[in-house]
Amino acid sequence: MLRFLAKRLVFAIPTLFAVSIIAFIIIQLPPGDYLTTLLADWASQGGAVEEGTVAAMRERYGLDQPVYIQYYKWIAGILMHGDFGISFELGKPVTELIWGRLGFSLLLSLLTLCFVWAVAIPIGILSAVRQYSISDYSATFLAFFFLAVPDFLMALSAMYLMSAWFGQSVGGLFSAEYVDASWSFGRLVDFAGHVWLPVIVIGLGSLAALVRIMRANLLDELSKPYVTTARAKGMSEFELLIRYPVRLALNPLISTLGWILPAVISGEIIVSVVMSLPTTGPLLLRALLAQDMYLAGSLILLISVLTIIGTLISDILLALTDPRIRLQ
Amino acid sequence: MGYQQKLRGLVVSTGLLGVTLMGLASPGWAQDYKQAPMLEEKVKSGALPAVNERLPEHPFVETMVDGVGKYGGTLRTTILANGDQYNLTRTIANELLVRWDPQWKNIVPSLAENFKVSDDATTYTFTLRKGLKWSDGQPFTVDDIMFWYEDVFMNDALSPAKNPTFVVAGKPVKVTKIDDVTVEFKFESPYGLFLQQLAYGQGHLPVIYPKHYLQQFHEKYNKAGIPDLLKANPAAGDWVALFNSKISLTFQPQFWQNLELPTLNPWILTVPYADSERVVATRNPYYWKVDTAGNQLPYIDGVTWAKLDDPQLMALKMTSGEFDFAFRHINNSTFKSVLFDGQETGNYRFVDVKDLPANDAVILLNLNSTDETKRKIFQNKDFRIALSHAINRQEIIDLVYVGQGAPAQVATQPEHELFNEREATQYTEFDPKISNEMLDKIMPNKDGEGFRLDDSGKRFTINFMVADVFGLSYPDVMQMVQTYAKDVGIDIQIRTTDRARLNTMWAANEQDAYIWNCVGGLSEVYTDPRCYMPFQKADIFFAMKWSEWYSNPATGEEPPAEIKALMASYDKVNAAVTDDDRREKMKAFLNLSADNFLNIGISRPMPKYLMVSKDLKNVVDGIPITGNLWHPAPTLTQWYFDKAN
Repeated sequence: MLRFLAKRLVFAIPTLFAVSIIAFIIIQLPPGDYLTTLLADWASQGGAVEEGTVAAMRERYGLDQPVYIQYYKWIAGILMHGDFGISFELGKPVTELIWGRLGFSLLLSLLTLCFVWAVAIPIGILSAVRQYSISDYSATFLAFFFLAVPDFLMALSAMYLMSAWFGQSVGGLFSAEYVDASWSFGRLVDFAGHVWLPVIVIGLGSLAALVRIMRANLLDELSKPYVTTARAKGMSEFELLIRYPVRLALNPLISTLGWILPAVISGEIIVSVVMSLPTTGPLLLRALLAQDMYLAGSLILLISVLTIIGTLISDILLALTDPRIRLQ
Repeated sequence: MGYQQKLRGLVVSTGLLGVTLMGLASPGWAQDYKQAPMLEEKVKSGALPAVNERLPEHPFVETMVDGVGKYGGTLRTTILANGDQYNLTRTIANELLVRWDPQWKNIVPSLAENFKVSDDATTYTFTLRKGLKWSDGQPFTVDDIMFWYEDVFMNDALSPAKNPTFVVAGKPVKVTKIDDVTVEFKFESPYGLFLQQLAYGQGHLPVIYPKHYLQQFHEKYNKAGIPDLLKANPAAGDWVALFNSKISLTFQPQFWQNLELPTLNPWILTVPYADSERVVATRNPYYWKVDTAGNQLPYIDGVTWAKLDDPQLMALKMTSGEFDFAFRHINNSTFKSVLFDGQETGNYRFVDVKDLPANDAVILLNLNSTDETKRKIFQNKDFRIALSHAINRQEIIDLVYVGQGAPAQVATQPEHELFNEREATQYTEFDPKISNEMLDKIMPNKDGEGFRLDDSGKRFTINFMVADVFGLSYPDVMQMVQTYAKDVGIDIQIRTTDRARLNTMWAANEQDAYIWNCVGGLSEVYTDPRCYMPFQKADIFFAMKWSEWYSNPATGEEPPAEIKALMASYDKVNAAVTDDDRREKMKAFLNLSADNFLNIGISRPMPKYLMVSKDLKNVVDGIPITGNLWHPAPTLTQWYFDKAN
């Protein structure tokens, strides 16, 4: 097990290097740079900027240097000082910006995962046990319906419904009075009052996949001899279901658990933008649009790291929950 | 009220020569200025000096729209999460030496109590109000203006190039301190437009640099202390970066990220425009304006901006009554019906905004194209006229702009004094027959598909760059233009692109043609004729080599005689010293520009709108807004809630 882990970790290092180089080059591929965007906005405000000022700013930001030098400076900063560079637009070190938002991203992902599992697993079991029944068809239909509706449309409709019919304040994770407050019981209640809507909107989209996986896996297991044996021995139908086939059917779900880590950063960008959630998604999108390259590069690098770690965690979890995998 | 009339009477229009605005007689109530309750408490506890000590000797007396208001309330509004710093500027930061009145008719003294213009329009003398204070209570004097001039503007490290507002004929202004409250701006050649420029947004440069705070970051004043400051600030590599991180040029977001920076604005930031979910500002206790009853302004205690990532959410929150005021991003036709229906639930009303550029969609052919053949044809005025006649403008307006517009060229708006029917409507009739006749003289030969051939016998193709910006549906407009052009044998190829790519193409002079909107529909045309002649290089690029030549004849390409005449005509506008003379010179210039017919306009813009709470009073209806006229900021101090929330 330890050797396996060590091997995986060693292989991860060149992968990360390659990813960082590719990420950095891709970010630089579109024409123009951060200043181009900035100056375009300024021009539309009636401003004109003199060539000299632009050239000086470009030099100050190091944007006049070749890509490989910019990359070297960035990666050297990370390796030697843990310094991911500065966000041009927000004027702060990248690390500071990312940590501030990572917490909410993680929390949102976890809550969504809990919601999806809590809904998808029972529905999947129901669909499998009552295969081709009305409940199977309607559950499947609903799940596919939500899969088919684009998430931004769902977000907009949900917000419109809540706002127009129930008069609830939508968007963001807090009411105005709690946005800058420190954590308190009141803020927690306010958070709970806001967070359920994005959780449901994001969760509904991924429901279908989980329901179908659960249903298919369980159907495979239900026809296996050990189920018949257990039933023959007089085990109650519910206990039988939960103790054996469901446990096995959960394996694929556990193997996807690791994906939640990269999704923390990049997942649900569109929903987060539409609903104005303080997560890393909108930060990444804006960094890419504004060509704020150190911020964008660092976020992409972080996504890659988390993907690798996530996959590793999935493998370990699988090994823990399923002895058969361990033995192979 | 008699006092107000006196103020109006004293308002000096831009060109009234040699007239000194005598200090407005100090009001009889000078001893008993009143202040907001929240400041009253602070004065009682000793945290603030009394209101009379905080106000200048002669505060600016605001002209009220509805009347004297009451204190209190928070103005709730909204801002895009990123890249929307101009929203802050246009809401709370537009304090200048002289300003435009809210009608955009006259220039009135503001931070300056009066000003004097020399007869030859080269020397401008300003007298500041005595006792003006920064938001931290430190005095604002001519020394602060001199700090900007000597240590920022004239410092090559901080200002590698000089801001064009303060440069005339290639020579930067000379600023001299006369005494603590008197300062002189002197130009080497006549610069009759200087007051106008100073009254627009960028004119705030001399009055945003508080010396007492900023000198610690300046090499000249604190050489010894800077290394330590740099250590504490990982984002800055040298003193210039450090200085710029404290008060960066206004077009950079950093300007709104420093809470320590003292200002002269009515509200001061308490939560910056950075990575929080909102922006917050609270009243400036040292603000230097009062109402006609001697109450210190502003009336409203504070302003909050909800930072949202998406304009749709802005509109939704507006209709659910979460904002008292909003305009940017949601005041276009896309949102109007939703917002109209939400007036009851959102408790707001619409106020007209005269945001009227010269044209919403302009075809800009590159007269300096690097392609020899194309350049020759684009420079042919008859070709441009022919293309103009080929376009069915009314159809575009009906289909794309849902009837909101009128067929027009790049021209001033009908309501403006400079309006001229011919300039606005020449060559706008849809007439493919005339168009074909004219084109037959220029490019008679056609290929098998009916497209015209150039001199070398190749199909003449215009590669048209189209970016989907400003919510003006340019890709849709261009598709229609493409069809009209095809009908007269001109091949237009549409290349959809984004703004950033277009920007790099402009800078390298690579584009054949593109479509954009044009400023210059109202008075801003005096100072910003970028669509009427090859001018500054910003946004509008139809002859960038000639603009380069105009700003410095050693660069770019020498334009033909008629363009030189056009440039000379604008120089006369700049040199004019009286209002009347300037207007006549401007009319002549616009006429000449129309004769040259440099670019092809499609649709005249219609007024836009903003939304304010029904409880808000003293809101100017029909306020003009343009790129460099940063309204409604100067009028917000008199807004008040009739039903304090």
